[in-house]
Amino acid sequence: MPIIIISADVGEIEQTIAGKVADQLEYTLLNRQLINEIGTKHHIDPERLNREMETTPSFFKKLSPSQWRHDLACIEHEVLDRLLAGNTVCHGLGAHLYVRGVSHAMKIRILSANSGETGDIAAGKGGNPDKSKKSRPAKLQERKKWSMAAYGCDETELSRYDLVINLDQIDPDEAVKTITDAAGFRKFQVMTYSMKCLTDLALTARVNTVLLEVMSDVKVEARDGSVVVMTRSSNRNKREKTAKIKELAGGVEGVNLVEVHVKKRI
Amino acid sequence: MSKPLEVLLLDDEPIVGRRLKPALDKIGCSVEVFEDPAKAVERMDQKAFHIVVTDIRMEGMDGLQVLGHVQQNYPQTKVIMITGYAKIDLAREAMGKGVFDFIAKPFKPEDLRQIIFNAAEALGVPMACPSSGNRPVETSKPQGSFDPSTR
Repeated sequence: MPIIIISADVGEIEQTIAGKVADQLEYTLLNRQLINEIGTKHHIDPERLNREMETTPSFFKKLSPSQWRHDLACIEHEVLDRLLAGNTVCHGLGAHLYVRGVSHAMKIRILSANSGETGDIAAGKGGNPDKSKKSRPAKLQERKKWSMAAYGCDETELSRYDLVINLDQIDPDEAVKTITDAAGFRKFQVMTYSMKCLTDLALTARVNTVLLEVMSDVKVEARDGSVVVMTRSSNRNKREKTAKIKELAGGVEGVNLVEVHVKKRI
Repeated sequence: MSKPLEVLLLDDEPIVGRRLKPALDKIGCSVEVFEDPAKAVERMDQKAFHIVVTDIRMEGMDGLQVLGHVQQNYPQTKVIMITGYAKIDLAREAMGKGVFDFIAKPFKPEDLRQIIFNAAEALGVPMACPSSGNRPVETSKPQGSFDPSTR
């Protein structure tokens, strides 16, 4: 069965719709609660991880680009490993940006620009609907900036999604029904190819996590257990760096072969 | 002894048939290999197959057209697509049109054997587990199973 990845321009809406979809389909719900588990496993303060999901690196925020990349890689790794189990609804973990090319991953964007429902849901979650509405354009700009910096793509670009639902026109319950119905489409069912794509992504993320802990200039691609790592190095350190990458990546579960390409630019 | 699983294997690259036929013979399939889609379709109209394994990009007739022919005439036959040009759009299109499974080249013979095993199970035609590499076990035919000879 498919993976359903939901993202919305309003966090409360995303949470409500994702929860209802997971309940109706009896799927596992993967959300920000996972951050605590990730923090414990990778020895990172969960508060920092939560902050990193919202903000880009800056000297003033005491967040370096290499630390940020590593911490995001840890989240990506843990989320992808869990998505391999299938039957999952995921939101709030950036999966819509890094789960790419997987045909059984259905990506949904919920728009709620002027929706009265948005206010009701925000109020239900203890938020202030008017305040939330006023700050929305600025928040969208921030999300756009964050997604571009983290994954090189704009999360507000609607063509990235398989299904876009506008809550100005459709009630939340109708949106939930639309999503659960679409999950039954043959196009979104698991096939050997799509599982292989997801397995490759998960392995890439696992290797990335290990390498980014000790170096920052790496680009990883995994396929069928073979891993290609591209990196930069001076001629003097080339051999040493290649050996280090081979040792670290080779120790990751599921890796059979590591190839290292040292380039001037990656 | 149960009848072997009838498989038609269609790929315009001869090496694919040469490599996959023995791998499928090994698990008890009766495999006919074709490189020309027109000849494969002609053969399908003469003889019934449980499973058709087809490439997508071929001269004259592509794999999706072969799928259309099978679905129109032999709806119980399972079609498995193999391609070296796998992309999410193509995978979804094939799946949406009713292909049983879709796999990107290159793949290991055991990957295809596993898919064949799953297809056989869906058809109600018993086979030995592909990982064991044994000949098919003798079992009684489940109710409603598909026997191409009765087509």
